[in-house]
Amino acid sequence: MSDSVLNTRDLTVQFGGLRAVNSVSLSCRAGQLTGLIGPNGAGKTTFVDAITGFLPKNTTGSIELDGEEVSGLAAHRLANRGLTRTWQTLELFDDISVRSNLAVASHRLTFTGAVRDYFHPSRAEGRVDEVIDTLGLGSIVDRKPRELSQGQLKLVGVGRALASSSTRILLLDEPAAGLDKNETAWFGAQLRNLVSQGYTLLLIDHDMGLVLNVCDYVHMLVYGELVVSGPPETMRSHPEVIGAYLGHRERA
Amino acid sequence: MATAEPRLGRSVLGRLGSRRGIGLIALGALLLVWIIGGFINSAVYFSPVLFGLSTGAIIAGLALGLVVAYRASGVINFSQGAIATYVVYVYLSLRDSGAYPIPPLPNPVAPFEAIFHAEIFDIPTAVDFGSEMGAFGAATLALLTAALIGLFAHYAIFKPLRYAPVLAKVVASVGLMLLLQAAVVARFGSGAKNPQPIFPGEPVDFLGVRIGQDRFWLLGSVLLAMVALWALFKFTRFGRATRASAENEKFATLLGFNSDFQAGASWVLAAVLAGLFGILVAPITGVSPILFTVLLIYSLGAALLGRMSSFVIAVFAGLALGIMDQQLFRIQLEWEWLPDIGLRQALPFLVIAAAMVFLGETLPSRGSITSGHLPLAFAPVITRWRVISYTLFTTLALGIAVFAPFEFRSGMQSSMIGVILALSLVVITGYVGQISLMQMALAGVSAFAVGSFGASAGLPLIISLPLAVGCGIGFGLIAALPSLRTRGASLAIVTLASGLAVEAIFFDRSGWFGLDNFTKTSAPPSLFGFEFGPNSAFPLGDDKIPTAGFGIFVLVITVLSCLAVMRLRRSRLGEQMLAVRANERAAAAAGINVGAIKLSAFAISSLFAGLGGVLMAYRLGTYDGSSFGIFASVAVLAFAYLGGITTVGGAVTAGLLTAGGIGLVITDKWIYDAGAYVAYIGGFFLIVTAVYNSEGIDGFQRRQFHRTVNWWRRRHGLDPLDSEVTGISEGAR
Repeated sequence: MSDSVLNTRDLTVQFGGLRAVNSVSLSCRAGQLTGLIGPNGAGKTTFVDAITGFLPKNTTGSIELDGEEVSGLAAHRLANRGLTRTWQTLELFDDISVRSNLAVASHRLTFTGAVRDYFHPSRAEGRVDEVIDTLGLGSIVDRKPRELSQGQLKLVGVGRALASSSTRILLLDEPAAGLDKNETAWFGAQLRNLVSQGYTLLLIDHDMGLVLNVCDYVHMLVYGELVVSGPPETMRSHPEVIGAYLGHRERA
Repeated sequence: MATAEPRLGRSVLGRLGSRRGIGLIALGALLLVWIIGGFINSAVYFSPVLFGLSTGAIIAGLALGLVVAYRASGVINFSQGAIATYVVYVYLSLRDSGAYPIPPLPNPVAPFEAIFHAEIFDIPTAVDFGSEMGAFGAATLALLTAALIGLFAHYAIFKPLRYAPVLAKVVASVGLMLLLQAAVVARFGSGAKNPQPIFPGEPVDFLGVRIGQDRFWLLGSVLLAMVALWALFKFTRFGRATRASAENEKFATLLGFNSDFQAGASWVLAAVLAGLFGILVAPITGVSPILFTVLLIYSLGAALLGRMSSFVIAVFAGLALGIMDQQLFRIQLEWEWLPDIGLRQALPFLVIAAAMVFLGETLPSRGSITSGHLPLAFAPVITRWRVISYTLFTTLALGIAVFAPFEFRSGMQSSMIGVILALSLVVITGYVGQISLMQMALAGVSAFAVGSFGASAGLPLIISLPLAVGCGIGFGLIAALPSLRTRGASLAIVTLASGLAVEAIFFDRSGWFGLDNFTKTSAPPSLFGFEFGPNSAFPLGDDKIPTAGFGIFVLVITVLSCLAVMRLRRSRLGEQMLAVRANERAAAAAGINVGAIKLSAFAISSLFAGLGGVLMAYRLGTYDGSSFGIFASVAVLAFAYLGGITTVGGAVTAGLLTAGGIGLVITDKWIYDAGAYVAYIGGFFLIVTAVYNSEGIDGFQRRQFHRTVNWWRRRHGLDPLDSEVTGISEGAR
């Protein structure tokens, strides 16, 4: 697809004898919210870890970002190229405020930049204020992560990823985990809001309700393999999807 | 007990995968060459193996205990060697005189005794059993002591710390090490002892070498212990329960296992193993208060090779390290053309560094971050009151450095150098979370370099000082390379071994950068013809040594260093350091180059360590490597943690407490002369700080200040101060 931001081709992740992700090829189109669903243990988080450079020794296959091959790059280089992510387990920087969490991600510190900042500090914080406005984080910027609710923490995680000035696509790993029904619905609305502002998102979750309600296109992973893809309305009634979630699917 | 450390997992060979074949072939070839060499010259090739077995056996024995403790509680126990030492000395005391030593206990009426110059209460130092005790009885009592130490370690220290950061566990085990070593010195002195043999020592001829058969008995004991432990953990309910508890404490409890019992029993087992092998080996190697702790560095290397989980690999790696040590010693004797570059002593570092490169990960794996957070790295908001208080404090320091009597001036100079050394740990450990146990080695590199550049080469201060500090930074960066692939307690081990390697390569050797003639000499600092060394005449203060000029010089550098670190904390680089400290994976995902941040931090930290080393060199004038050894590095970490390792205020507090510092001088002169018990008391308070007050004295006083000021403000109808101002808020910037 010509307007794809992210493409994987034959992406495989192997741990010894276990193939956690098996030859997965998928695309995420610009300005869309793409979903990746699958039951627990399907390999969704492993897939995200592989794309974002956290499993370099175990990963084979191709990863293209804006048509450029990026497989094998270190995690921080991928982030600097715009492949950003959030975490199922949050993994915020607990020692610093929400604003600092965002600011840290917005700076690309070079040696000379660090020296200049040391002697001539500048409070310009890249896209931090813009992200705070976009996500409505204004009331909590000076608070610490441990003082926030689960929903707010998830949003700060999204904000930190978006604060990177070069974000091309944001991978959201199980953002609905730990949220109640109302928080999930509110969070989904926030994601649609981001898409309406032109962001490209890949939402990885096993919460069918959230993914099918907010995504433009959905892929399903089962036992590390991409078994079916399509728009939400097709996926909702697809026998493979129903089988995978309700246990009717039989595998050899 | 939940494992707070990353699970170290598979063995070396398993991890090497496709490289296994090449490695085995290389090893086989080496073995073949060695066997052929052995038949040509058995004295050079076979004899070191057989002699190295005794050293290797204690390395392996200590490594077994390390693995047991780690498998049970995720703690890398730096006090394992000190436990062995204490138990051996108890055994020796019972054997020699039938006296069971009682560790030093606080005398509650000591202040009154000091005031009235009278002994009111006499705390006994030993329980006397009448006469010399037999080997079996003495060993039984000594091993019971080991079991009690194990129980104390678990229940008083490591159980309360099970969810604490790795740093707190490392510091607590270092505290236990200092406590036990100091107890040995307090009761038995610092001299070495040679116990009576336990195993039959008649020599036998083996492979053309005549050697005492006690080596073989010892080897058999270690192998027996290895098999027994392997079977215990593999086949028994206790072993399965311990493994299950280490994997997941909650689920293990749901399955009916008592995790607490498993961990406690394992600590007892680890301590008894340490004591047992100490008693068995001591007749062969002799024993001194620090011998087993030095050997522990080798044991840590061996245990790391077995990923802290394999008894078999740990034992064979330990034996191999002992043999290699002897082999290198012998080769150095035989091959006179071989330059003495300290390779023998550097070996543990090389082995550990290699293990880290092969086994480490650039970033921690998923689910490996389970431990608690380090204390707040408080950056003070600069208020008017703070400026006033800093100015007053600096003026007071200046007053003491210039006008106080000479012993107070000397204490002040030691304290200020201690502040700079502690600042080096604030940067690397407090801000980035990397545990370094090599700071004094880096200080020593700069101290030796400033002697070479200044006194030997005659370069002026303005060139020799930056060059010397640059040398410290260079070595800091080299030694920091393994940190790119390791972290936590493993990094602490690597840095400890690095310190040992630097000590061997530089401080024990003569020649350029090494010793001049048993000692090293530095030229007094001077600038524009004005000399301000500790012996240089100075117009202010009295003319007793150290004179005031050097104190002012050190004070200027100390104040600038404190301001520099405070600025670093608030800079973007400082924020990125804190992000790396909090979570390396998330930092990388946020675009932070974790490796670059770590190396930057090591460079900056080495700068302060180097600066401290240079100032020590100026202050001492004539010095050797003893001031910069691994125990000095351990002591710096201990004082920095006690003061508060995450803040500049903590570094200042650490400086006040440092050995020979102003705090100790004032205490000795005006309050109580603790004398020989300083290290013992220090070790005790280090454990207490690690367990109950991770923010150190600085954090404690900040909290008390916050409470007091706000109590006063409320009484006067004023709004309480914001916690961000007083620095007790977790998120304060």
